[in-house]
Amino acid sequence: MLKIFRRLWQVNWAEQWQYRANLLMYLLYWLVSPIIYLAVWTSIANAKGDVNGFTANDFITYYMTLLIVDQITSNIVIHTFGYKIQDGSLSGELIRPIHPMLTNALVNNIAFKALTIMGLIPVWIVLFFLFKPDFSHVALSSILIAAPVMILGFFISYLLSAAITSLAFWTTRVYSIHEFYFALILLFSGQFVPLTLMPKLVQDIAQYLPFQLFIYFPIQVILGKLSPAQITQGYIMAGVWLVLALVLFNWIWRNGVKRYSAVGA
Amino acid sequence: MVSNATRLWEHNMHTFKLLSAFFKVNVQMALAYRADTIVNILLNVMWLGWELLSLSIIFSNTTTLGGWGLGELIALLGVFRLVNTMMIALIWPNTEKFNQSIRDGSMDYTILQPVNSLFLVTFSRITVWRIWDLALAIALIVIGINMTGDSTTPLQILTFILLAISGTVVIYSLWIVLISLTFWFTKFDNNVTILHALLDSGRYPVTVYPAWLRIIVTFVIPIAVATTIPLQALRGDLNIQQIVTFLMVAVVSFIVASQVWKRGLKQYSGASS
Repeated sequence: MLKIFRRLWQVNWAEQWQYRANLLMYLLYWLVSPIIYLAVWTSIANAKGDVNGFTANDFITYYMTLLIVDQITSNIVIHTFGYKIQDGSLSGELIRPIHPMLTNALVNNIAFKALTIMGLIPVWIVLFFLFKPDFSHVALSSILIAAPVMILGFFISYLLSAAITSLAFWTTRVYSIHEFYFALILLFSGQFVPLTLMPKLVQDIAQYLPFQLFIYFPIQVILGKLSPAQITQGYIMAGVWLVLALVLFNWIWRNGVKRYSAVGA
Repeated sequence: MVSNATRLWEHNMHTFKLLSAFFKVNVQMALAYRADTIVNILLNVMWLGWELLSLSIIFSNTTTLGGWGLGELIALLGVFRLVNTMMIALIWPNTEKFNQSIRDGSMDYTILQPVNSLFLVTFSRITVWRIWDLALAIALIVIGINMTGDSTTPLQILTFILLAISGTVVIYSLWIVLISLTFWFTKFDNNVTILHALLDSGRYPVTVYPAWLRIIVTFVIPIAVATTIPLQALRGDLNIQQIVTFLMVAVVSFIVASQVWKRGLKQYSGASS
């Protein structure tokens, strides 16, 4: 099995490397929103001294950490897999003895991330000198505690997106469904603003949803803003959602493949 | 003189007829996918809801953003949506078709038509259901202006409209330059991504951005010229010299863009030769 994954890695790395110019464009596109939110909130914090206890530096460190966390936990499976179900090119992968979504597509996604993170590092360093965040209160131990959360967050986010992508077995409007899902992430993950500044109702709902595990929770762990009890609670949530996401994905995938009749068959 | 005027009139009528023909074809294309159109409109309403919610979150924490009030930001959102509609309804679909035509050589047939090629390339595809987005954008602008109170003079509204139009011309010109580059660099099919990437910066007044970002979105990829600057005219922040300068910039950038397009066309040699 390990040999298969190594081979898949080589193939997918080479494939992604071929598109490195596109990848840089994607990175640029993805960078703009967090930087704009950073600018908006720091300008408010600077004008007022603080926003509900958040100083300008709190916002800068939040969004600078977000750039890394989001790159680790996010995925692009809808774009790399959705069309395969629609145009029938999935057929070839289905007859192989390995799961298309949990091996090939997964490794492809990780290769993509590895490359974008390589592109992000120099950009992040430039932004560091432009915004001058003060990270002095961040402990190495917090980063070590956050690392497994980010990996869990990636797998939950990947499985949920994979489940939505698998809806393409039923509908051609899977991209619209994904757009709606993307809006939910924006609302409940802490991407726009730290969740504690969102309306009370949004915060209460966000607590039980998996989306905060992609962004808000890992950032707060890294920045050392959470008590050990809160961290434990987050880990439990992550464990529960991992199981739920796996069950959900498997159920949709199995039923989808049963329905699947490729174009031309 | 008379014959010149008639010819100009006929030319304009001709252009108008062509535009309405393009529009008809695109309406028919959209009607073939009715359910998709409805889903797209619903998603659009959802994003409007998100945009208003994010503004309300910002203004529940502050009374001004970069010196601007809530009404001004709603009007700015309207102007942003105008530019965004141009991006999605016009720039995206036509760029896609253009890049394809450079790759497979079907650009040959476009050049052979007895109509201005630039006009054909930039207006033949229109995502028509987005038209309702224009109405929504204008509604946001009107609501926003009303929220700012009675302080707005008719002259300010006039300069606002003029600068919004000239800002759109600047973005349109930049688009022409970007797609013209494809004549020299055939593989450059990411030509409008940079425009699209920085578009989101138009949601907020550039005055809140750090200097380096402000310079990029004002002078390099001038999103702000079409979003923040018309709003500044509405607020009465601009003097007459600045207003005239921005109007001149629009004229000059359109002239430069059509020259670049002409040079590019000369460079074009078809896909097979």
